Amino acid sequence: MSEHLPPKSSVKRWLVTTNHKDIGILYIITSLFFLIFGGILAFMIRVQMWNSGTVILSELGYNQVVTAHGLLMVFWFLSPFAFGLANYLVPLQIGADDLAFPRINAMSYWLYLFSGVILGISFFQGSTLPTGWTLYAPLNLPAFIPSVAELGAFSGILALAVFVASVTLGSVNFLTTMYRMRADGLRMRDVPLFSISILLTVWMMLFAFTALLAAILLLSFDHIFAGSAGSGFFGSSEGGSLLWTHLFWFFGHPEVYIVFFPALGAMAEIVQTFSGRRLVGRKWFIIAMALVAIQSFIVWMHHMFLTSINLPIKTVMMVTTIGISLPFDLMIFALIYTMIKGRVRWKTPFLFVLGAILLFILGGITGVFLGAIVLDYSFRGTYWVVAHFHYVMASGAVALIGGIYYWYPKITGKMYNEFLGKVHFAAAFVGFNLLYFPMFVVWETPRRWFHYEAGFTIWHQAASVGAFVFGASFLIMFYNLVASLYSDRVVDESPWAYTGSAEWSVSSPPPEGNFPGKPSFATGKLNFLDGAATDGGEADAKTDGGVATAADAIEQEADHTSWWPVILCTTGLITAVGISGLEESYFIWPFVFAIPFYIAFVGLRGASKDGFGVVHGLYLLLAGPLLAAFLLLFNLHHGIEAGFGQANTYFWVTLVGIISGVGALVGMGFESFFAPEPELAEQWPFEGVDNTKLGMWVFLSSDIVLFGAFIGSYIFMRLRAGWQDWWHIAHENGLAEHAVLPGLINTYILLASSFTVVLALAYAKRGDKLKTLAFLSATFVGGCLFLVNKGIEWVEYYFHFGWVFDSGPASVTYYLTTGLHAVHVVIGMLILLFLIARASRGAYWSEGETAHTVEYFGLYWHFVDIVWLFLFPLFYIL
Amino acid sequence: MANIKLYTIIFVALGAISTTQFVVESVLPEGLYWFGLVAILALSTMKAFAVAGWYMHLREEPRSITYLAMAGVFCVLALTAGAGYSVV
Repeated sequence: MSEHLPPKSSVKRWLVTTNHKDIGILYIITSLFFLIFGGILAFMIRVQMWNSGTVILSELGYNQVVTAHGLLMVFWFLSPFAFGLANYLVPLQIGADDLAFPRINAMSYWLYLFSGVILGISFFQGSTLPTGWTLYAPLNLPAFIPSVAELGAFSGILALAVFVASVTLGSVNFLTTMYRMRADGLRMRDVPLFSISILLTVWMMLFAFTALLAAILLLSFDHIFAGSAGSGFFGSSEGGSLLWTHLFWFFGHPEVYIVFFPALGAMAEIVQTFSGRRLVGRKWFIIAMALVAIQSFIVWMHHMFLTSINLPIKTVMMVTTIGISLPFDLMIFALIYTMIKGRVRWKTPFLFVLGAILLFILGGITGVFLGAIVLDYSFRGTYWVVAHFHYVMASGAVALIGGIYYWYPKITGKMYNEFLGKVHFAAAFVGFNLLYFPMFVVWETPRRWFHYEAGFTIWHQAASVGAFVFGASFLIMFYNLVASLYSDRVVDESPWAYTGSAEWSVSSPPPEGNFPGKPSFATGKLNFLDGAATDGGEADAKTDGGVATAADAIEQEADHTSWWPVILCTTGLITAVGISGLEESYFIWPFVFAIPFYIAFVGLRGASKDGFGVVHGLYLLLAGPLLAAFLLLFNLHHGIEAGFGQANTYFWVTLVGIISGVGALVGMGFESFFAPEPELAEQWPFEGVDNTKLGMWVFLSSDIVLFGAFIGSYIFMRLRAGWQDWWHIAHENGLAEHAVLPGLINTYILLASSFTVVLALAYAKRGDKLKTLAFLSATFVGGCLFLVNKGIEWVEYYFHFGWVFDSGPASVTYYLTTGLHAVHVVIGMLILLFLIARASRGAYWSEGETAHTVEYFGLYWHFVDIVWLFLFPLFYIL
Repeated sequence: MANIKLYTIIFVALGAISTTQFVVESVLPEGLYWFGLVAILALSTMKAFAVAGWYMHLREEPRSITYLAMAGVFCVLALTAGAGYSVV
């Protein structure tokens, strides 16, 4: 059981907190650190560009700096900066006490931080990624990366993988929260615009980042198994390089809006407040954002006009690209017209937003040029692209800086210095344009290269001066924000004359439980129900949304602390660092050795938590022999003495990381952590689906994209190779026989395991302990049989036929896709071991309620079954 | 026991459809490959709907859960169709 939050002055608080406001602050501070990190790299680029060919960095060094700058700014600064604000504000704006899954929210943060740490570590492993932030193939493959850079390059890839894990957890959490925990009477259409923008952002994140994860997992395979000599996946002759661009930009274009949407939401809020009126065309503004979110997934090939894709698809993508600019026009006009219709107050947040609108308009117009096929042929790979996307993305950052000034009084309870804020804006706006506008003028400068025509020098020098002005302006901001913390400019609920959302109706900073009572919009205005019963009075709240009716804080029942998120993510950091240097022949072993430890931990922790039972004894008895069996296998493969003696440091780091990781996972699994669902809440359109079930479905929806990207890659390669020639090519590459029967047997096995798990649920609901336990165990046995059958098939193909990973497109897609599926089966089996241990001591069979845990697991297991139902025809029959 | 009977019937049906797919692949002449492909994938889709509808209880959930899952499927179809078409 967790405890109350330590004071903010305590370091412990920031390690154990699961409170959304604390996590929001951690996100904001960390993202600003990465802004400085990426900013310093930007200065290095601009110094290198002072004259054509200036050398303060080697060629490899320049490539690293350009790559890391892009990655840091896009992934580790912009989105997390917005999500710091989102973490802090969304629950307040929708009237929730916290996010739906507070511990997972903490994990999202720690994974984010540690992913950035991994990227930082990569600099000290010889070299970080030198590929450009798009990681185009084949430059992202070991064969095309200087050997000195391979270790750090792979670390950079792993950093992205960990970052995506953080994003996925965050997306599941935000979607569940926003659909299930809105205050009573708060219809979705009435949710404040910043929160609406976050909702649409997390929808895009959920699917787009999963496509990136698929690409990263496939690329990781190339780095682990293909080695410097092999072609691997993205080096495949069947369009491997082209496939990378498809997968990357299917993520990459929505990513532009993922970065910009929160800024758009902040713009709308700030324009409303400082114009003193509701946004003109608010409904259409929201519809336009939703349209962009959907359209963002059908424009990605405008980044690929210079590849070998055919002309008809280019034309389609040009049309969709021009089309996506239209909803943006509507949004920009809505913002401008709101200003015209209102009475503008020229405060710092408004100035930043106005500046951001101007910058975004320029960025948007110049982007239309790139969306036209013919013009793109000239502009691609030049500084036109660099200038355009900085005007778009950095304008988002400018708007979010406005957001920081806007919500700073709410977060800190203090007012910033207005004069310094305006000085910051002036310096930032001048610096920004001095930095990026000259790039349009000298657009013929080749991108990612530091040699250019002599006539361009003055423009590049102006840009470099602009970079330093822009960077220096942030020093003013840092000083202002820090100094204001210690000032006497105390603010109460709201320092602004016109605010429209619920966060402004509570004290600044808000109390731990957010509200003085249960927020409700049922009357059309904001009221606090619980407080009204005890107080009865009404106090003016400085909002246009209603009146606050009490000041008494409600008693906090939810848990707000847990050590496990930071511990678990730390083990993830250690494991990821270890994996970066694992040799191919050692790769699987740390994970294999961790399995018996996991079983022993479940036995030990389960016995101490639920009371010792036969199953715990079995687990403890099983763990030792299993470890011995794995050591025997290791001995057969490497020889114990030689194997362990020759293992490099990274092997031991991985081993320590993964074993402590499974320990932390078990610890978190058995921890009692209470995060109550609101009894009275607006839950359209997911009424009657509890938070965890919705969270599971959201996760599965993203997993559909993960598997879909693997299967889509297979279909892409097969179409390119000639669909019906596929197995002939495989036979030429060493596949002596392509048997269908093993696939059919595994189909029967998985269907049977789906049947047993649904029976386990049925009997759990009826309170039949023995049958629940029996059918959960039968499901586990089904998983074992599936893996054994799959293992026999792999051994036959790999060792007897010599049809190895790298034998060709058919082998690499077969092993990777069925391998990903097998990993899902293994994860399911590990969860089953946990469920069986808990079920044996009384969990999951008390008249329906606690049977839900079996149901949630069943959803996962059935999904894995469904995936196989498509792998069977695609990889065996057709 | 109604549920358990239904689950059992679905399981038997799923097994039978899988066997049918295997048989179709074995007996169909080469000239009817594309017909077989469509038939086999349609049978897989039917099985997936059965598992999702009854074992995952999608039929009993609010329709919005189905739309949620379909959003993921839409992304997959967009990516696969777009990427696939770009090289044919």
